[in-house]
Amino acid sequence: MIGFLHPWLLAGLVAAGIPIVLHLLERREPPTVIFPAVRYLVAATERHQRRLKLQNWLLLVMRTLLILLLVLAAAGPTMRAGRVAGHAPSALVLIVDNSASSGAVVKGTPRLATLRSAAREVLARATPDDALWLVTADGVPRRGDPAGLATLVAELTPSPRRLDLGAALATGAEVLAPETRSGEIVLVTDLQATAVSPARVDVPVLVVRPDEAPPRNVGIAGLSLGTQPWPSEGGRAVVKLTGDSGPPVPVSVRIGERPGRQALAPTNGTVVLSLPGAPPGWWPVTADLDPDELRADDHRLGLVRSSPMARVRWDPAERYVAAAADVLERNRRITRGDEVTIGRLEPGISIVEPPADPAELGALNRALERRSVGWSYGALVTGSETADSSVGLGGTRVLKRYVLEPAGSGRTGVLVRVNRSPWVVRSGSVVLLGSRLDPAWTELPVSAGFMPFMDLLLNRIARGELAVVDAAPGDVAALPDRVTEVRRAGERWAVEGGAGFRPEQPGLYFLLAERDTVGALTVNVDPRESRLAPASDEQVRKLWRARVVGPDAAGEEVFAAAARGDLRGPLLWAGLLIGLTEMGLASAWRRES
Amino acid sequence: MNRVETPAGRARLDLLDPMEVARLGGLELVAEGVVEGFLAGLHRSPRRGFSVEFAEHRMYQPGDDLRYVDWKILGRNDRLYVKQYEEETNLRAIVVADVSRSMAWTGNPALRLSKLAYAQRLIAALTLVLQRQRDATGLIAFDDAVRVIVPPRARLSHWRQLLATLGALEAGQGTAAEPALRRVIDQLRRRGLVVFVSDLLFDRPLALKALRFLRHRGHQVVVLHLMDPAEVTLEGPAEARFEDPETRAAVVLRPKDWAGPYRETVQGVIAGWRLACRRHGIAYHAVRTDTPFGVVLRQVAASHPT
Repeated sequence: MIGFLHPWLLAGLVAAGIPIVLHLLERREPPTVIFPAVRYLVAATERHQRRLKLQNWLLLVMRTLLILLLVLAAAGPTMRAGRVAGHAPSALVLIVDNSASSGAVVKGTPRLATLRSAAREVLARATPDDALWLVTADGVPRRGDPAGLATLVAELTPSPRRLDLGAALATGAEVLAPETRSGEIVLVTDLQATAVSPARVDVPVLVVRPDEAPPRNVGIAGLSLGTQPWPSEGGRAVVKLTGDSGPPVPVSVRIGERPGRQALAPTNGTVVLSLPGAPPGWWPVTADLDPDELRADDHRLGLVRSSPMARVRWDPAERYVAAAADVLERNRRITRGDEVTIGRLEPGISIVEPPADPAELGALNRALERRSVGWSYGALVTGSETADSSVGLGGTRVLKRYVLEPAGSGRTGVLVRVNRSPWVVRSGSVVLLGSRLDPAWTELPVSAGFMPFMDLLLNRIARGELAVVDAAPGDVAALPDRVTEVRRAGERWAVEGGAGFRPEQPGLYFLLAERDTVGALTVNVDPRESRLAPASDEQVRKLWRARVVGPDAAGEEVFAAAARGDLRGPLLWAGLLIGLTEMGLASAWRRES
Repeated sequence: MNRVETPAGRARLDLLDPMEVARLGGLELVAEGVVEGFLAGLHRSPRRGFSVEFAEHRMYQPGDDLRYVDWKILGRNDRLYVKQYEEETNLRAIVVADVSRSMAWTGNPALRLSKLAYAQRLIAALTLVLQRQRDATGLIAFDDAVRVIVPPRARLSHWRQLLATLGALEAGQGTAAEPALRRVIDQLRRRGLVVFVSDLLFDRPLALKALRFLRHRGHQVVVLHLMDPAEVTLEGPAEARFEDPETRAAVVLRPKDWAGPYRETVQGVIAGWRLACRRHGIAYHAVRTDTPFGVVLRQVAASHPT
């Protein structure tokens, strides 16, 4: 089937009518010439009329054909022509999957080296007339010439990121959408089954995948350090493994630089290890496996906050708060003391409930103002409302609450909202609750989430410690509202509270609010990268309508995907031939006449 | 224009461009000028020219018919001489002139005389030559019918009358040559000279039949086929509707496409007339209207019965 690079130029085909129009115009009302020897003209035309008519029609056809050929050539016709030596100018998106799994070593050769070689083969077939883009695991399309992109490919290293192949194909299709040239996407990948996802792609897709089977691999899928902060006695680490089935593998977990604890863990199973306590502070926890063919997933980082349990003062008359505090005390999550006061405003850290008697509200607000708390209680709101999903309270019904009104500079420190209105806020060492912890105000005290909420509230929120957030490289991590800065090993990123943050490298990131460290971000390789089993060729053909070839065939198959021969040359040659023939015949006949 | 001069330095009107000559004055002046030049070319011998009896030799002049070159003298002395003949006295001549509408046409009015104007001047010169030979000359003019008949007379005053008639001729309508040629019989009772001046744009067989009849009656017949150069070579706009002024027949064509076939056709017509005339002992001369009058007079003078 014939396609065109510049189909709009086909409008010029109307120009093919020019010779015919000129012919017709010339035929219209020619001037009259008085000429006595008309009888000679009649005699001459009777003898030559047929031949001249034939000559004229032949010239007309040749001129029309010449214009047709020139217009068609200008429109850049291409034709599916199987394996042709050259190819029509094309737009090509080359996706090289240098995700973490590409670091696997197969028969002594890094898998990425095989992929790079195939990618270079593809680029070697490109011409300066082609529009080329390179997409790697970072998902950013980079446009360049064949030589420039080949240099980029040669410099590629395994990325800690995961590449969703469906998303990458969609990106490629988006890049090619405005292109008028025939487009093609070449995906050079290890074709991990976990990376394959559906994609709507309207251009031909060529998948180049290694011929060799991937190596057996086991990786650490998760490192859970339980409820934080850890008491000084230490805590438990739960390590989850993933990968190919096989015998149990040794796992080593250590906190800080202390000697690690080791245990055998089943592949695709979990192992729990007790870790010793540590002095108050943030401590890195690392889990390691013995090295295998993919090193990126043999190591995982976690972060634990070690601090003594909160010393809490509560009012035994408050039935639900007291009950919860008793349970937490018995489970060694809190102890009695005067570090944190729950229920009323006291010197030091206070978790303040609104007073049961509205008459006391004014005094409370004045006291809050004296403590320079940025919030105060406003009007009473009744009616069934629902809390948002912050701190595990999603769906909790709220029946009665005071509106928390910001005072002075701002609305910072909002921890939980109800109906988009602040419900739990923190300002300095004071946490304000919009409702009393009583079923008449909210269903929270009688819900399953009450105990974890109280633990979180007393041990972390009230003490200014917010969260440990997990993320994978390249993923967007939602940061808590208060965070103003992210730090990692000397690097700093200023952020806005509540905004997303995209860590590029695995590691430990600390979240700061002004000068206080209020949380941490642990970034580890996506566990799906550990599963190296590839998707089947059939699955890929069906899912993306792609052709699947090995690295050796990449160079031959690329551009043959849209396999279109450029017809401009033949058309121009034909036009030249017709033009010369027309000139020759016209001049010969003119000489003859 | 190149001026052709006699040894005495005077311009020879017989060898000048007809248009230039025509600008000099009326028919009489032109005719006398042309004839003077013509006769000067004949060594000022009015007694020699249209005859068959050999008289003497003279030096070859440009325009002389090569048939009268004396090759023996050329072989002996390496000089070109032509033979001259004694005039035949008491010749009765009649000029049959075509004055149809087609004769009034010229392809370039600024540069060339119409065929009729050319014929008028040529006939005036021709009849003056004949008058000076004391031959009786007459005139018949025709278009689609015989318009004028001037019987042959030998008096000089007759030439002036003939000249006046000639000058008054205007182009008529169609062409019917055969009746006019038949009328010659009435004017030439004994053997004489018939000069037929026409563009021959009519059917050849009928006219040729009349010419053959005249020849059969013993008359010397000379046909002067007048053609405008634009009738020999087809030119015009890219495409044109060519219309016959007499019949109104028209044809639409592109001159550049048809120039070749047209030229072939015209050459074929000329060749056809020449062949047919030669076959019947008729002298035929194709005359372009840009041909100097003297050249034509020499051709006519050279015409004699074969």
